[in-house]
Amino acid sequence: MGNKKILIVEDDGDVRRGYHVRLKANNYDTFFAVDAIGSLREARAHQPDLIILDLGLPGGDGFVVMERLKTNPQLAVIPIIVVTGRSGLANQTRAMEAGASAFLEKPVDNDDLLAAIRRILGGPVQLEKAEFLPGPKRRRVLL
Amino acid sequence: MSEKPLQVLLVEDNAGDARLLREMFSKEKAGSFELTHLLRMTDAVIHLARGGVDIALLDLGLPDAHGLDSMRRAQQVAPNVPVIVLTGLDDETLAAEAMKEGAQDYLIKGQIENRALPRALRHAVERHRMQTETELIRTNQMQFKDEFLSHVSHELRSPLTAIYGFVTILLDRLAGDLNVDQHEYLEIVLRNIKQLQSMINDLLEVTGMQTGKLQIELQRTSVSDAVEYTVGTLVATAAAKGVALSSDIEPALTSVCADPTRLRQILIILVDNAIKFTPANGVVKVQARKFEEDPNFLTLEVSDSGCGISPDMTERIFERLVQATDPALAGRRGLGLGLYICKELVTRLGGRIWAESVPGRGSVFFFTLPVFSLSNLLAPAFRREKPTASSLTLVVTEIGSQTGWLSNEVRAEQSRGVRDLLQQCLHSDLDVLLPKMSAAGAVELFFIVAMTDRIGGEAITKRIQEQFNDFEHVQRAGLTLLTSYRSLEAIKRNTNEPMKDFLEKAATQIQELMNEEMSLRMVTNG
Repeated sequence: MGNKKILIVEDDGDVRRGYHVRLKANNYDTFFAVDAIGSLREARAHQPDLIILDLGLPGGDGFVVMERLKTNPQLAVIPIIVVTGRSGLANQTRAMEAGASAFLEKPVDNDDLLAAIRRILGGPVQLEKAEFLPGPKRRRVLL
Repeated sequence: MSEKPLQVLLVEDNAGDARLLREMFSKEKAGSFELTHLLRMTDAVIHLARGGVDIALLDLGLPDAHGLDSMRRAQQVAPNVPVIVLTGLDDETLAAEAMKEGAQDYLIKGQIENRALPRALRHAVERHRMQTETELIRTNQMQFKDEFLSHVSHELRSPLTAIYGFVTILLDRLAGDLNVDQHEYLEIVLRNIKQLQSMINDLLEVTGMQTGKLQIELQRTSVSDAVEYTVGTLVATAAAKGVALSSDIEPALTSVCADPTRLRQILIILVDNAIKFTPANGVVKVQARKFEEDPNFLTLEVSDSGCGISPDMTERIFERLVQATDPALAGRRGLGLGLYICKELVTRLGGRIWAESVPGRGSVFFFTLPVFSLSNLLAPAFRREKPTASSLTLVVTEIGSQTGWLSNEVRAEQSRGVRDLLQQCLHSDLDVLLPKMSAAGAVELFFIVAMTDRIGGEAITKRIQEQFNDFEHVQRAGLTLLTSYRSLEAIKRNTNEPMKDFLEKAATQIQELMNEEMSLRMVTNG
């Protein structure tokens, strides 16, 4: 069985590349989009198993992307993990209502991201290492 | 120069005094003042509420208002109208108090010189205008600063994500091997990234508080769970420093009315601080018990055997950007926002926070939280002024939701509490209030749904539903909900169909409101 395919929608090139290296090391194939239109095009072209979606995007934000994805029966089934610099319960609730499977705040902990991906795509869920994050634990929602 | 006449409201019950004042006005140029004279505060309040008054002259010895009470009532109904108080010869102390509470000036009856009255009035109006303007500028600046900080903090997150991403890629040797030094240096980078991340989170938290975006979901919250979580989270940090971290919870402690996420946040900040300021072989302890001074509260305490806080700092450390300075603790310790965040959160949860310390022997941070009871949960909503046509309150409670999270006895007791509250408040007034709202084109709808018990809850919601459906524009209007999301979900799951539809609709409206970033208003005790 081939590797699972993940579409990374993120306008920051460095962040995008960081995800790519991390995901490749965990045996995922990655594709990229840098804006709203590109994300729909890439989703159609590759039919990924999962989409990692930033909310702040040029040409229509992540909510717009989710809305469009959900209107296409083929794309509507692809699970979405929102990873964003926008905080707050309002954004989180809105993302989950729009059909996201998880909402993570930047900078997202590697273990948290991989755990979310594995929970959705299957595969070992246990964390590689438990890290202490100073300050309050971030709100995290996994369905 | 033709100006609009200054609208003066004189509230004075003594006919002689009133005549004297009227005469003073009559000497002024025609068209410069327009005087309305009323005898009682009750009438004055109605007149002020109508608007159009530029300045009020208030006697402090009215038959229906005692002393400063008349001024307070005037300020309540018309906060933007400057007030000059009129006092007797021997009442200068009272006048001084009035000034402290916001009066623009005072005049002593019988000692008002000719022509002094109009000048005093004009000065008062002008001074008040300048004060208002300064205040507005200050508010705008503060708001700009908070928005700016919030924007900057968000923008900092992307580069930080990239730095974190690649440092951990190197550390996890995804880009090849590292020697011992390289590994150690990257660990230092990572530690600093986490500090920076924590500072950005604090900044966002504080700016969120300032711009009213702080979200608090009050619900029944277990103190021991929160303490256990905190100790579990920080026990490794304490151990790494050689500090013993333990907890002591009074047995059978009741739950508090709080937001569990916020309670954990408060405890984490306090315990993290305590560990930070405690040297090796020290002790940090978290305790919780009934509050001796008031049975309606629990008290939580975080004590340490650290360096302590000097007496002059025990209050100041809760201010923004204030940090205790201790030469023994050189280096960075964050932005100094942690305790400020704690104080804001505790206050908004309806509690109080304070610190006691013996320098050199350690510090104890105490905070109180209200014991959970539905009346307490609902009370803040009703602490607002009497509901008016444009403001009703919606409270959805979980009582009788059949989810079984309350025992029968507790449920019965809470039901009584809610029913009493409702009776005191407004559910019987709905017939009056909704049409009034409709007539007034009210833009905001506050609403009450109390699931007191199956039958009672259904009856109430049926009435609300009937009324709601009659007023299309009210349906389109805003909705403010006081409940946790969980409550709403639980109710939706456990109610019959029409009720479910109604709540569904309400929930959608709330969602829309939230999506527009209009805050889901949680009225807390703050």
